[in-house]
Amino acid sequence: MSNQDELLRIEGIRKTFPGVVALDSVDFDLRRGEVHVLLGENGAGKSTLIKMLSGAYHPDAGRVLVDGEEVRIHGAQDSERLGIATIYQEFNLVPDLTVAENIFLGRQPRRFGMIDRKAMEADAAELLRRVGVNVSPRARVRELGIARLQMVEIAKALSLRARVLIMDEPTAVLTSEEVEKLFAIVRALREDGVGVVFITHHLEEIAALGDRVTVIRDGKSVGQVPASTPEDELVRLMVGRSIEQQYPRVRPVSGDGTGDGAAADSALLTVEGLTRDGVFHDVSFEVRAGEVVGIAGLVGAGRTEVARAVFGADPYDKGAVKVAGAALRRHDVNAAMEAGIGLVPEDRKGQGLVLDASVEENLGLVTLRSATHGGLVDLKGQRTAAARIAGQLGVRMAGLGQHVRTLSGGNQQKVVIGKWLLAETRVLILDEPTRGIDVGAKVEIYQLVNELTAAGAAVLMISSDLPEVLGMSDRVLVMAQGRIAGELSADEATQDSVMALAVSTPTTDSDSETAVEGSRGH
Amino acid sequence: MATDTQTSTSRASGASAVRRLLLDNGALTALIVLVIVMSALSGDFLTTDNLLNIGVQAAVTAILAFGVTFVIVSAGIDLSVGSVAALSATVLAWTATSQGVPVWIAVILAIATGIACGLVNGVLISYGKLPPFIATLAMLSVGRGLSLVISQGSPIPFPDSISHLGDTLGGWLPVPVLVMVVMGLITAVILGRTYIGRSMYAIGGNEEAARLSGLRVKKQKLAIYALSGLFAAAAGIVLASRLSSAQPQAAQGYELDAIAAVVIGGASLAGGTGKASGTLIGALILAVLRNGLNLLSVSAFWQQVVIGVVIALAVLLDTVRRKAGATPVAAGAGTPGGKGKQAATYVIAAVVAAAVVGAMSFLHTGSSSSTTQKVGLSLSTLNNPFFVQIKAGAQQEAKKLGADLTVTDAQNDASQQANQLQNFTSSGVGSIIVNPVDSDAAGPAVRSANKADIPVVGVDRGVNKADTAALVASDNVAGGKLGAQALAEKLGGKGKIVILQGLAGTSASRERGAGFAEGLKAYPGIQVVARQPADFDRTKGLDVMTNLLQAHPDIQGVFAENDEMALGAIKALGSKAGKSVSVIGFDGTPDGLKAVQAGTLYASVAQQPKELGRIAVENALKAAEGKKVEETVKVPVKVVTKENVAGFGG
Repeated sequence: MSNQDELLRIEGIRKTFPGVVALDSVDFDLRRGEVHVLLGENGAGKSTLIKMLSGAYHPDAGRVLVDGEEVRIHGAQDSERLGIATIYQEFNLVPDLTVAENIFLGRQPRRFGMIDRKAMEADAAELLRRVGVNVSPRARVRELGIARLQMVEIAKALSLRARVLIMDEPTAVLTSEEVEKLFAIVRALREDGVGVVFITHHLEEIAALGDRVTVIRDGKSVGQVPASTPEDELVRLMVGRSIEQQYPRVRPVSGDGTGDGAAADSALLTVEGLTRDGVFHDVSFEVRAGEVVGIAGLVGAGRTEVARAVFGADPYDKGAVKVAGAALRRHDVNAAMEAGIGLVPEDRKGQGLVLDASVEENLGLVTLRSATHGGLVDLKGQRTAAARIAGQLGVRMAGLGQHVRTLSGGNQQKVVIGKWLLAETRVLILDEPTRGIDVGAKVEIYQLVNELTAAGAAVLMISSDLPEVLGMSDRVLVMAQGRIAGELSADEATQDSVMALAVSTPTTDSDSETAVEGSRGH
Repeated sequence: MATDTQTSTSRASGASAVRRLLLDNGALTALIVLVIVMSALSGDFLTTDNLLNIGVQAAVTAILAFGVTFVIVSAGIDLSVGSVAALSATVLAWTATSQGVPVWIAVILAIATGIACGLVNGVLISYGKLPPFIATLAMLSVGRGLSLVISQGSPIPFPDSISHLGDTLGGWLPVPVLVMVVMGLITAVILGRTYIGRSMYAIGGNEEAARLSGLRVKKQKLAIYALSGLFAAAAGIVLASRLSSAQPQAAQGYELDAIAAVVIGGASLAGGTGKASGTLIGALILAVLRNGLNLLSVSAFWQQVVIGVVIALAVLLDTVRRKAGATPVAAGAGTPGGKGKQAATYVIAAVVAAAVVGAMSFLHTGSSSSTTQKVGLSLSTLNNPFFVQIKAGAQQEAKKLGADLTVTDAQNDASQQANQLQNFTSSGVGSIIVNPVDSDAAGPAVRSANKADIPVVGVDRGVNKADTAALVASDNVAGGKLGAQALAEKLGGKGKIVILQGLAGTSASRERGAGFAEGLKAYPGIQVVARQPADFDRTKGLDVMTNLLQAHPDIQGVFAENDEMALGAIKALGSKAGKSVSVIGFDGTPDGLKAVQAGTLYASVAQQPKELGRIAVENALKAAEGKKVEETVKVPVKVVTKENVAGFGG
């Protein structure tokens, strides 16, 4: 059984938390120079498994072998010594230190007892070059975007000369171009003999990058298959049933969605010439009742900024936002809410949820004011409403009192959406609604979008997941460099046509404004 | 049989409910452990009177802490509550007595003051974007300063109609306890049932998520800090009515007690958690601890150590409990993890109990034989050699006469002293010696000792509006005069001098200063170029003197209202001391006398603190036996210079 190429073997691992069996008899192995994909729905136990390897958790039963020898990993030092490096979804970087300091944190090269800044920055520059990212080693991490943070994390892992590299959903936050770059790096590492444990929810990435796949479901390893396994089969293994359709969009019957007169009358959300100097310029579009409008574009194109400005979370310099024809006060979340706009923010944990509060409290957050009568909150009413919506959305939880921190990503997102449904939102802005969410929950969220639009609501969906934008939108707006680079109908929109617009350089007065011809006269 | 089974199940589930309650409330467990330990160690602890005492003693901290709970739940901090309490009480007393405003309007003004201070905090934090720590730290200083400005440093007697707030209702229920309970209920309703209360948890848990869910975070914060200010004002009024006087220096450091109570009660400084009941328990733990330590005659110095250790253990208990299991609500009982968690909790509880019991029996110095006379001595502070000397003299005399003497340290806090006096009264001492932090403020507590027929002897300072069997004191005014005389003669009747004043608002500072001014009238050639407070403290004496020398490099004399400040001034003066500048101190402490011998201190107006302590104990024992004692015993004051210092040593 002793295999020369075997780096890592896990046998019969079990781990319980109070009231929950997180892992039960999980087997896994990793060879030199392979990319082994770990696949499973959120909450299946993938994160728990990799935390055992980084020393954050200790198994209750089972063995971990490195190079054929049983080891006990008690902390980060142990795993580092064994050559195991982990890149988590939530980065472990210190925002106010420089890139170089972060890469060498705790291991800064020293000269005469002082940190040798020059050597450190030179080494960091070399690592960053290998990763292929254009960042100054002296830049502060706080100033970097999310994709670059990821690259810094990889550079850090490279600096550790890791033999086992664990990547927890590294592509979740990247644009397709960045994903390609990442894949190139991972392939290079594989050539060097590094074993990579790769966690992803993007099934198409498996065939592109992986060698083998281990599927985990409900804390058990349910199968090990080659990466060439068809996606349908992988999904079936993962969710224990087959999912018929990944993007179940039911498009409204009337028309193809381009701006003809009759449809323009029912525009629910109208954005005209929205500009914030240096961030986005002259952004105009509208979303009609019953319609899903997708916004695609590269990270940094200004999509999230526009969404936040429309919702009143951030100010803008010029332009107007109207709901059903009535203009909204600028930079006023409450005005937007009263008009019926809701925002499901990009950063679910940081902006969407109060993690240490219960499901009930989170669901009732938006309706808290309207449920207050004579100074007192109608707690009973809030509870009934929360129970109703949680049931309707199929939030899987132990009870309404469970803290949302302990829910899986998909269920957390349902709670964020649920609080807006309770407030009877007419215009829902979804910013990366399915980031880090497993296939099963994704489909549930898409079906929710269908229900909303069927009931006459308008949905504006920002997503970096191109198949999702293409599969779910009735129209696709593509943003590039802070401007709308173009609009595509569902039929016109393909991966190629969207990407062509996303990397284009839009001009100020352009053909890209076809979407708002009707409203320009004002 | 069927009924039997049913009862036993319901009993079992009752027991498990209790166990769950204790496990989920580390603070409650700690409180119960403390009460059991205290009851076992002291027979005086578990009496109705004493429990009500504890309630009264917890009231001010609890009311302050309720206000701070709002702030901490919303992930802020309020350091200003102690100062705001003092300011509000001062505003009430000042408007009602000096300005002749009707009392009910004065009360409204006081509450408005508290709210206004809170609003200023809120504006600085919400709109000025100051960190709460800094904004409220600034208000701590401003509030304290304003209360000193308004009161001109002296305590103001509280209007009688309001002082009833410090009394009892129906002869047994103390009003402060009632106020505490009512404020606690209000806090619970606000936190649990109102829009602003629920918003606090959301803001504290994730401010950005709260904002993006349409909560008006900035406005809520204004209201949250205003509420904290309002509660501080209420606490200030209760505090002042207990003492029948508004003290500008009241409630110093109470903000830390309040924060400790909130955190012991299970709130996290990171925000998002906290309950009114937890805060109440936290305040009660602190009060039980102080009360029990007094009853057990634990040394004043060790008391502070024990309190610190218990605070740490109580919070540790809670942290371990949480870490052992972030309890998902429906988690099945009896899983292995759950058992580990229970075990951890029990272990910690056992450690707390063992630590408290051990500390108590180790530090419990009082002998328990019932034939000896018990005497309680409450000193204003032990942070000053003069009072340490009083303590030493008293202890020597008590040993000689075979009495059991318990010494407590009020840390210059009138309300803490009132608590200690109450504890003496309820533990049934034969007599009490009090060295008041403030003569007016000690009145109510001494009156209740009068009611219990326990004779009270004042030492160093008198007690107003209450009966004392004797007052043993040196004459501060006369001492001040003597000091003026000595300094003026030394300077040949003319020259520039500065005065270092003691802690603003204390009688010692007022009387010595007044005596000195009186004495100077005979010497028109002496010019006082500056008069600055250095709080009886050596370090501050050094700093203030250094600053004064910048402005007045040409002075020839310094009068310090105690030796500690004089010694600080000498450090600042360096080689000038004793040569071109003559320094006079007050008290005749061992360090002071040494400096006189060395020539750096020209003279000290010496009291004889050991004599004060000795004579006080002598008189207290006499009074307890029903013997007649003189109403005032004057211990002589003398100017000690190099010529006569030899006769004073020690």
